[in-house]
Amino acid sequence: MNELRIKRGYSLNLVGAPSPDLEQLNRPDRVAVLPERIPFIKPRLKVAVEDTVKVGSVLFIDKRRPEITFLSPGGGKIAEINFGPRRVIREIVVALDEKEAFEPFPKLDGTEIDSIERLDLITTIINGGMWPLIRELPYRDIARPEAMPPAILVGMDAKEPFLANPESYLKGNVDLFRSGLRILRRLAGENSVHLFTSPRQDYVRQTLGSDITCLVSGPYPADDPGVMLYHTKTSSSENRAWFVQGQDVLMLARLFAFGRYPTERVVAVGGSAADRPRHFRTRLGVPLIHLAPEVKHNGDVRYTAGGLFRGYAIPSSSYLGIYETALNLVPEGNVPGELLGLFRPGPRKPTFSRAFTSRVHRRALTVDCNVHGGDRACIACGYCTYVCPVDILPQFTYKALYAGEVEEALSHGLLDCVECGLCSFVCPSKIDLYETFKQAKADVYLEQLRA
Amino acid sequence: MKLIERFFNTTRKHFDAGGRFEKYYPVFESIESVFFGAPRVTQTAPNIRDSLDVKRYMALVIVALLPHYAFGVYNVGYQSHLASGLSTALLPVLFTGLKAVVPVVVVVYAVGFFWESLFAVVRKHEISEGLFVSCALFPLTLPPTIPLWQAAIGISFGIVIGKEIFGGTGRNFLNPALTGRAFLYFAYPVQNSGDAVWTLLTGSQTVPVDGFTGATPLSVAAVTERFGDIHQALADAGYTPLKLLLGTYPGSVGGTVTILSVVGALFLIILGIANYRIIVGCVLGMLLTALLVNLLASESSIPYMHLSPLYHLMVGGALFGFVYMATDPVSAAHMQGARWVFGFGCGALTVLIRVFNPAFPEGAGLAILFMNLFAPLLDRIEIKLRIKKRVPNVG
Ligand code: SF4
Ligand code: SF4
Repeated sequence: MNELRIKRGYSLNLVGAPSPDLEQLNRPDRVAVLPERIPFIKPRLKVAVEDTVKVGSVLFIDKRRPEITFLSPGGGKIAEINFGPRRVIREIVVALDEKEAFEPFPKLDGTEIDSIERLDLITTIINGGMWPLIRELPYRDIARPEAMPPAILVGMDAKEPFLANPESYLKGNVDLFRSGLRILRRLAGENSVHLFTSPRQDYVRQTLGSDITCLVSGPYPADDPGVMLYHTKTSSSENRAWFVQGQDVLMLARLFAFGRYPTERVVAVGGSAADRPRHFRTRLGVPLIHLAPEVKHNGDVRYTAGGLFRGYAIPSSSYLGIYETALNLVPEGNVPGELLGLFRPGPRKPTFSRAFTSRVHRRALTVDCNVHGGDRACIACGYCTYVCPVDILPQFTYKALYAGEVEEALSHGLLDCVECGLCSFVCPSKIDLYETFKQAKADVYLEQLRA
Repeated sequence: MKLIERFFNTTRKHFDAGGRFEKYYPVFESIESVFFGAPRVTQTAPNIRDSLDVKRYMALVIVALLPHYAFGVYNVGYQSHLASGLSTALLPVLFTGLKAVVPVVVVVYAVGFFWESLFAVVRKHEISEGLFVSCALFPLTLPPTIPLWQAAIGISFGIVIGKEIFGGTGRNFLNPALTGRAFLYFAYPVQNSGDAVWTLLTGSQTVPVDGFTGATPLSVAAVTERFGDIHQALADAGYTPLKLLLGTYPGSVGGTVTILSVVGALFLIILGIANYRIIVGCVLGMLLTALLVNLLASESSIPYMHLSPLYHLMVGGALFGFVYMATDPVSAAHMQGARWVFGFGCGALTVLIRVFNPAFPEGAGLAILFMNLFAPLLDRIEIKLRIKKRVPNVG
């Protein structure tokens, strides 16, 4: 087992960490898929409102690759299809029947997985609607089925505040997880599947033992596959490694084990405004209100699908997307700061800098979504370079992009950016570095696809 | 408290988009944010942002400078009373000091704020708090006798030529306060160099009383004829190491007090505002270069070459420049390695300018400005080297 220490990054100590208890939620009466939240795809609807669907019926396909299907996480009637600006498909909502019907998919046991042709395996995964869970670095689009991945990376940790902890979804499912790894190993062909976790994940280490290839320690986002890749790669042929989230390995395994489109999800609900911060066993595409009917804060609360860094703000009336395994609730922060806060020592202010006394107290802090400052020009404080886990120099890369020098930004390592958001977080000038990089990466990608 | 909140809430609409004073929003924002953080929330990921903003960052630098102002007020008054033969009791001394320092600060801030607001309004960006630091630094580097109109011209030059014409804060490569200071030095040498300008005379006095010598330690070191015994010459002029540390001698308003610069350096380094690499680099550059100069010096070389490294560090405003000017993150080198080199260069050049070109007795300012010019090059070199180490990932 290799060990890797990541030095750069930053872990905040925040209140509202989900407790490891796993609570079974009762069945919601609706579930949904959020095509808008699946990066890069061009969805084409295959259903209309009022249609009857089974668990596993095709809801839409990706126009770029019509063979890639997105399946229904519930059986019942299409209750709503909601569109956003420019007719992007926001939500496809399924009202669940009392007794749901299932599309049948082939069941494969361990030996069958090992003996099936790799291409047939891929087809099975695609038809089972699980292919979108396999993604490709550096752009994090859905993997190209025809490509041979230089490696498949699976991270088993939850460093971002707050994500579902592996222990919570792994308990009772270890064998299933192993068979999921088996599928990935077949997909990787000659190349390897890297399963990595943190030395602190005792449960994962004990139960998965020799399946773990690397122990990665360090602050957020040391658990990101892109960080792991950056620190281990030796040639640029490895840049396009694939990655799968820990919990998605289980999904893949369930498809093969039960011959049904898997709909179970363990979701962490956290954040200082979460009424009951803990893990819930629930359905894919669960309504947010079902996860958190109450909030614990007087004032506006931001619902964040995913972690506080990478997750996105979403109305409480919406649903959890297929990639998200967490809902975070924190105060919106749309109120003026305290009087003359500028001059106060700040024992409760979350910060990376050392400019508040909170850095001495080390107690868990409360964050909100206030920007905490006005937009300024870069003052070259260098904080962004101190936190970037993949040694990008965000301030210089940003300037290069600002000047339209994409080639230069690429040479700085733009594509190695793991989209962790730390650079934007620490920037005292409140520059949207992360958003700029993410956009620039996407532009490079789209350009490439057109060429 | 509520009153202030209400005031901003009712006035904001005039400055917001569509309001009567929309154009002056930067000025409004700059003042409001001193009292309250704006209720502005993140629109893009990451959802959460650090509590630190540029305002606090810069405010902490100003906090570090306050003791220098306290000292400056005292020392200006004290030297003035000494030279004028008046009582050196604390209150009258402070009064004289305040009378000399406060008008300069007020003028510098007013003029600086005017220029920054003008450019902010025209260019439609928010007012950068770097301005307040430049305006706090600038008066501390001036002689106490500076005419107010020169202070005004100096800061105007510093802000407009040193910063705004390059696109404002963040794009300037010279330290604005130093640019202004250097401009005054070259444009108005009479009021900005020589021994007389460093002491303010009070009352009817037009020449210092007998027995008061206004010579600064740098000028003593530069002109002494006592070959091989420069330290004794300094001591004879009253410049013991203790006095050099305490800075209680004629000099710029707040730069001479080396001991406070040390405190300020620790404060800013501990808070993560000033980069220790630059400061330590400066000190190393100064000590090693001075040592080298010492080694090269022979019996017959100019006495200045014999000045020991530690004296170099203590005399004049060198450390003040290193701690507060060289560390200005925008005009310094940005990369960690380059910061060492940058600092080292500042320290080394200060010694060389002092020793070999005594016409500019205070070399630190010029040395830092000179290194400001090289900082981008140093950064480029380091970035090139770093990029070479990456496994390429270019799509
Ligand atoms: S550039 Fe910013 S978002 Fe990208 S990896 Fe570095 S810190 Fe994270
Ligand atoms: S954190 Fe912001 S202000 Fe500081 S160097 Fe990076 S981009 Fe510039």
